[in-house]
Order: sequence, then C-alpha cells, then structure tokens
Amino acid sequence: MSDRLLRVNAYTTLDLVDGRARGHDFEAEAPGVVNVTAPREDPEHVTLEVELDNTAIDDLAAHADEIDLSPAQARTLAEALESTADRVEAAQSGDTDD
Amino acid sequence: MPTDVENWKSEVYGNEIRDRLFEFAEQGFDSIPDDERDAWFERFKWWGLYHQRNGQEGYFMMRIGTPNGVLEPGQLRTVGEIADEYARGPGVNPIFGDAYADFTTRQSIQLHWIELSDVPAIFEKLEENGLSTQQACGDSWRNIVGNPVAGKDGQEVIDAWPVISDLNERFKGNDDHSNLPRKWKVSVTGSADGSGQGDINDLAFEPAYKAVGDGSEDTVGFNVRVGGGLARNEPRLARDIDVWVPPEQVPDVAGGLSALFRDYGDREDRYNARVKFLVDEWGAEKVRETLQEKYVDFELETAGRDVREEYTYNAGEGERNDLIGVHGQKDGTNFVGLNVLVGRMGADDVLELADLAEKYGSGEVRLSQRQNVIVTDVPDDALDDFLDEPLLDHYSPSPSPFMRGSVACTGTEFCSLSIVETKNRQVRFARWLKANVDLPDDVDEFHIHLSGCTASCAQPQIADVSLRGMKTRKDGDPVEALDVGLGGGLGENPQFARWVTQRVPVDEVPGAIANLVESFADERDEGESFRAFVGRHDDDELDALVDPEETDYEDPMMHNTKRTWYPYAENDSMEDAPSPPADD
Repeated sequence: MSDRLLRVNAYTTLDLVDGRARGHDFEAEAPGVVNVTAPREDPEHVTLEVELDNTAIDDLAAHADEIDLSPAQARTLAEALESTADRVEAAQSGDTDD
Repeated sequence: MPTDVENWKSEVYGNEIRDRLFEFAEQGFDSIPDDERDAWFERFKWWGLYHQRNGQEGYFMMRIGTPNGVLEPGQLRTVGEIADEYARGPGVNPIFGDAYADFTTRQSIQLHWIELSDVPAIFEKLEENGLSTQQACGDSWRNIVGNPVAGKDGQEVIDAWPVISDLNERFKGNDDHSNLPRKWKVSVTGSADGSGQGDINDLAFEPAYKAVGDGSEDTVGFNVRVGGGLARNEPRLARDIDVWVPPEQVPDVAGGLSALFRDYGDREDRYNARVKFLVDEWGAEKVRETLQEKYVDFELETAGRDVREEYTYNAGEGERNDLIGVHGQKDGTNFVGLNVLVGRMGADDVLELADLAEKYGSGEVRLSQRQNVIVTDVPDDALDDFLDEPLLDHYSPSPSPFMRGSVACTGTEFCSLSIVETKNRQVRFARWLKANVDLPDDVDEFHIHLSGCTASCAQPQIADVSLRGMKTRKDGDPVEALDVGLGGGLGENPQFARWVTQRVPVDEVPGAIANLVESFADERDEGESFRAFVGRHDDDELDALVDPEETDYEDPMMHNTKRTWYPYAENDSMEDAPSPPADD
C-alpha cells in the first residue's frame, strides 16, 4: 500500500471513523480519517478531507477526497450535521427508553 | 500572503527573542498576554523552548543543541544537574521517575517540565559550561549532526569535527541566517559508515575524493546533497547536486545554500516550506546553477568519488549498524557505545555516567542519532573495569537487538502532536520482544522505530519495522493503534519503509512482530537480512506476515492518552490538570 496521504496528529479532527467505499461493482468497509482545515492566513474556503484506509479497499488506488466549502456551505453542512445528530441521539435515547 | 508564523517572525525573531523571554520569565508565565501566546510560543522555539501540550500549561520542553552530539568533559554533568534541579514537574513517569534527560535522534538533549521562571538561571548555567539552547528549534540552522565520534573514529576518512565546529560558530546567532522559511537540518560526516545519516537532512556533506588542481592526487573533501527529510507523509532522500567541496570551502557552500533557501523557500505555506519541496520544484541542476551564479564566488567542482558503498549505519546488514559496543579510536584508546533504551536516562544515571566518563575516559561523552550515548577515550587498561561497572548492566554495550534497535519519539506524554504513547510503550515492547522472540543466530540487528504521529521524529521510515501512531476500535472501544511499515533503512541505497498494515491495536503489535520474525526465520534465504527479505515480498504478502495477535503482553495505555493531562497520573483527566506553576 501507499503511505497515508493525510497527516494524522493530535490536531486531526477525527482519526477514527467507520466508513465504506462503494462503486457500481464493489463495496468495502474501511476505517478512515476525517479532517476539517483551512489555511492559517487569508483562507478562502474550508476544506473537508476524507481518507479511508487503503489496506481495507482493494478496488481503489490509495487516495484522499478533499472538498472545498465556502463559509456558507460549511455552515450549511454543520447545521445539517447538528440537526441530524440531534435526530440520531433522540432516536437512540428513544431506543434506550423502550 | 505570508503565514501567521511569518508575520510573527517578521515582528520579533532570532537573538532579540531572548530579552523578551527573560522579561516574561521575570514577570511570570501569566504575563504573556493570552492573545500573544501562540506567537511567543512559536518564537521561544528559536531559543530551544517548546510549550508542552494541552493540560500541561506553563511547562516547557527545553532542547539543548550539542553539535555532532559532542559533550565536552564536564558538560554531561551540567546536563544531569540541570535535569535534577529543574526538570521536575507534577507528573511522574512510572519507568523513568521524576527527573530525566532525553537523547534525541538529532544528537541533542531534551528536558521536560521546565518552568519559564527558571529559564534565565538554566541559560546561565548552560552558558557557563559552553552549552546552549540557541536555534535548537525554530526556523533556522538546527543542531548540526554527523558521525558522533568524528575526529576519533578509527574508520574515519576525514575529520569532520573542525568543519562542524566552524559551521556551528558561523551560523548560530547569525542574523543573515536566523530567519529561514523553515527548519534547516545539516549533516556533515567524515566517516565511511554513513553514521551522519545525511540522506535525511536538508543539507548533507558526505566524504568523497576528488583529484583537483593540475592532475594531483585525490584530495578528501565532501560531496553535497540537498533536500532530504521525513516529515509530512512526504519523505525525501537528499538529492545529489553534483558538487564536491574541500573542507575549507564547506562554510561558503553551506552558507550559500542556506541563503538560497532563505531567499527562494516558500514562506506562504509552511507545509511546503522545507527545502525538499524547492528541490522537487527546481530539480538538483537548478539548485546547483543558482548556487553557482548567485551564492558562491568560486567555481564549484563536480562531485567526487564517494564512499557510499561502504555505508553500514542503519543499513540493515553489515557491521556497525549503530555505534554500540567497544570500538578502536585513532589514538589507540577506545570509544564505548552504550545503549540508552529510547534515549531516556534518569538524572541520577546521567550524573553517574558523567563520573564514569571522568574516571575511565577523558570525561567526554557523545550522543548518536540512534538515541544512544558514547563514552570516548577509554584506554585499553581501563576497559575491563569500565565494562564491569554496574551502571552498564542497564546501559549495555552489548544489548539485545530489540533493545539496541529501539528508537521512540516523545509521544503523548508531552508532545502536542502525538496521538499515542510512545517511549514507555517502546520500552515495554523491547522488553517483551527480548524475552519472547528469537532472531536467527546470525542476525544481530533489528531496528524498530516508533513515532507518535506523521511528523516522523523517531525517523520511522528508516527502520526494519516502522511503527506510527493511529487509532482503531477493539471490542467496541477506541484504542491506540499503530500503522506498520517494513524494510526501510539507509546505506548505499537508502529506501523508505513500505507501509503494509494499518491500525494494529497496540496490544497486538508485539505478537505481530513475533509472527513476522518467525516467518522471516523460517522463510529467509541463507544469510538473508530482514531488509532484503522484505524487499523480495510484495505488500500483500508482507501484510499477511505481520499477522497481529494477542499475547501475554499487556498494554496499560490502550486508552486515548492524548485526552489525559498526563497519561501516568492517578487522576489523568483534563479536569485534573495542574494549574500553571506558581512563580517563585
């Protein structure tokens, strides 16, 4: 395998997430790294980085996906994450109550 | 646009930081305004001070730069006394106690738990004894490395110590070179064993012969390589720029290349700032041309005949993979390399070793890039008594391959980048491997380097087994884990490890190494080195050989140590973190 593409250190947003890579003719579960970053000076966008572990996926070359978000897009995403997290937590607490 | 760091550097940097540092020391840690802390912590690095990580507010790591790892007679005692008096804090390490010194992979010394208010007194004591923290960190000439026994080594081609001393004099505190785009790591090696590890430095001088002048005989000097380094998941080997330089012109060429880096390096993006990326962009030829046209006023010679085919240091096979053990010096005495497991030595032991170095040698001690210590100038008739000293039971001149091969960075104990525990873990790994794993009889070296993150301070890419901090899930819980790489090393043809297995839970790593060694022992060709064995297998085959497995090895630090204020504290949560030290 190739080396990881994303730096992983204590400033990395999430060093362990569960994910999967899916294509028309393959699907592979893989742990991964998620990071949110922006240049320290005069940043123009927020970058969301995702890299799934290459050793867990035979069908793809080692790679990281990087998405540039405007501040508004980043907030939209954050709000969606927040509200969806609320929904999942509510469902989980509902499960616990059952 | 320049980065924040560049802006801070443009305001105050270099020598002038010292006065402000002393003012803050006088007025107390709290006198650093909250909104200026990032800037001042960045600047303090130039004077060898790193603020320790989250949860250890107000405590600093102090790095003492010892050029080429040379500690002149008396200097090791100074280090031990400073460690004993000042390197104590609220956290106590269960293996190493509460005051210790770390010998680093760049032949420097690191102390922890240093309080700002003690810095002036420490600097005074260091400087009285010829030691300094100046430029030990920060964006400038770092501690110059090389073969630590330069000037004494019986296998030396050329004595590099006068060259290193000269470079250190010229470029420490030199305002023309004090503010570079990024760190500038220089290696100067005069021996034929490759122990200066030039290939992983920004600038490397390696011994080489050249017939210069009117058909005269070969002269010994140095070939020049530029742009090596391991960090940022983008390791590079230094590139040959086809230059040979006689010893007396090394400062001109080194200063020229440092100035070239200063003028052309990337100050917009710190991740792209190291000279290795400039060499990527330009190519070696343009580096040479620019050096010739703008930075030196004499005609550069083309590269000479090197001695790389003789390199053995950290090369995976051959003699002298490290400098442990007894070796002959040019003057008929001996140097004795002692294994310091993961480079850490308790202050009491440092002081005792200083005594022994005076009793049996000249008092001089040197540090290697494998985090070990070398006592020099031991005469033949004192050798047996020295080797019988009880301290050498622990710091052995003939340790197990798993002990002598271990290198580890600082880790979550103090470092703000690391995501796993490292030094104590590597001690546990080495002890378990020593007790449970047998290498083939003819294999006496096996290098395992453990780095807590991708910054690569333990030089993980150049080991037989490379370990790098990650996380995984085990039985539903997140636990510390390590990526595993294999087959890296230096030598004539250096190569970086191939990362073959990801996220091995830390408690299964010793079992994985045991299984790997067993397969190696069973399947190797006769006399084959581990590195050669790795070289003839593909990544999938190697991944299968790693085979993680639980054993009777138990890891007490499986949990997320970066979320503790100190991993070994009884109450380790961030809420229990101590207040910054009171000023005294």
